[in-house]
Amino acid sequence: MGIGLDLFSAASAEGAWTVGELTRRAKAVIEARLEPLWVRGEVSGLKQYQSGHWYFTLRDKSAQVRCVMWAKHNQRLPTAPADGMQVFVFARPTFYEQKGEFRLTVVELLSTEAGGLWQLAFEKAKAALARDGLLDPARKRPLPAYAQRIAVITSADGAALHDIVAVVARRWPLAQLLVLPTRVQGEGAVAELCAAFTLLGRLRGLDVAIVGRGGGSKEDLWAFNSELVARAVAAAPVPVISAVGHETDVTLCDLVADLRAPTPSAAAAAATPDRDEVLEHLAHLGTRLARGLVSRVELAAQRIERTRERLSGVMSLRLERQRHQLAAASGRLDALSPLKILERGYSLARDARGRVLRRTEQFPAGLAFRLRVSDGEVPARVAES
Amino acid sequence: MAKGPTFAEQLERLEAIVRRLESQELDLDEALKLFEEGVQRLRAMRERLSSAEAKVKQVLSAEDLDE
Repeated sequence: MGIGLDLFSAASAEGAWTVGELTRRAKAVIEARLEPLWVRGEVSGLKQYQSGHWYFTLRDKSAQVRCVMWAKHNQRLPTAPADGMQVFVFARPTFYEQKGEFRLTVVELLSTEAGGLWQLAFEKAKAALARDGLLDPARKRPLPAYAQRIAVITSADGAALHDIVAVVARRWPLAQLLVLPTRVQGEGAVAELCAAFTLLGRLRGLDVAIVGRGGGSKEDLWAFNSELVARAVAAAPVPVISAVGHETDVTLCDLVADLRAPTPSAAAAAATPDRDEVLEHLAHLGTRLARGLVSRVELAAQRIERTRERLSGVMSLRLERQRHQLAAASGRLDALSPLKILERGYSLARDARGRVLRRTEQFPAGLAFRLRVSDGEVPARVAES
Repeated sequence: MAKGPTFAEQLERLEAIVRRLESQELDLDEALKLFEEGVQRLRAMRERLSSAEAKVKQVLSAEDLDE
C-alpha cells in the first residue's frame, strides 16, 4: 500500500475502506510527513500508570493534542510536570489506531519555568517530608561531644573523603572513621546511598555519621535531593551531618540531617572536638583537682584547731569546777576541825600518855592531866575529895 | 577497637571526681584517695590523647567490623 492517499478508490460506497485500513494509512502518512519536532504547550490531565508510562494533553488557547511519554524516556526526569506547567516536548507525531487519535510520542520534556522540573521535584519531595514531620527542627539530635566512631558515606575517591580524613586526623585522632563508599552522582547513586544508610543502621558503636560530596552542578547533586535518600538520612540511628556541594545549594538531605555543614571539612570539624582544647580542659581539671585537695586539707587543719580550742575550753571548765569542789570540801573540813570545836569553848582532857579522857571513872582523885584548850594546854589535877 | 570506657565516660568520671573533691563533704582519707584516682585518670587520658592515631576503615558490609 502506497503512502499517497488514493481518493478515487474510496469515492464510492463499493470502494469503502475498513476503519483499520484508514487508521493504518493515516498513521503511515503522519509518520512519514511529520518529522520528530519540538512542540511547546501547557500540560493538562497528566496520568502516571503503574507501568511507568505517562499520558497527558498538551494544549494552548485554541487546540490540544494527546501525548504519551514511555517509562524508558520519562525515568530520567526528576518528576512529572504539574498540570498547567508550560513545557517544551521533543516528540514524534503518530496516530494511535485503537482510539483513532492523533498523538505525540514524547521523548524529551523540558519545563520553561525557572528551575523547571528539578525545582518541582524538589518542592514535591520537600512537601512530602514536611507532611511526615521530617523537617521539624525539634527532630534534630545533638551531636556527640567526643565521637569515637564516625561513619562517612561518600565517594571512595572523592576530595570530600580526603578532606574529612585530614580534618579528623588533625583534630581528634581518637576517632575511628568507617567509610561506606557509594556513588554520589549519576545512575545508581540513589540506590547506593540508600544501601549505605541501611548498612549504617547495622553498625554497632557508631556515634555520628557524615554524608556528602564536593560541589557540582545541580544535576550532579541530584541524588541528595532524592526523597528516598532524605528518608534514609532521617531514619539513621545516629545524628547525621550533611555536607553536600556548595553553600548555596540546599539539598533535601541537608534539610533532613541533624546538622548541615557548608563543606565536608566543616562536617568533620563539627563531628569532632579539638584535641588541643580537650587537653586544655584536662589541665583545668587538674588544677581544680589540686585546689580541691588543698582546700580540703586546709579545712581539716581548721577543724583540728577548732577542736583543740573546744577541748581546752572544756578542760578549764572542769578545772574550775574541781577548784570549787575543793574549796567547799576544805570548808567542810575546817568546820569539822577539833580546833574549831575548842574555839567554841570545848576542851579536851588527856592523860600524861596523851590518851583522851572521856568518862568520870578515868579521873581518879589526884590524877594529873593536861587540858587542851583553843590556844594551848593547861596542866590540871583532879581535886582530892 | 579498644573495649573499656569511651573517652566521654572517662572524662565524665574525672569531672565527677573533681566536683566531689570540691564539695568538701568527705573526710581527708577519702579526699586523698579521690585525688590520687583523679591524677591517675588525668594522666591516662592525656596519654590516650597524645598517642592516638586516627584509623580509617572501609566498610562494605556489617561483617567487616566483626573482626
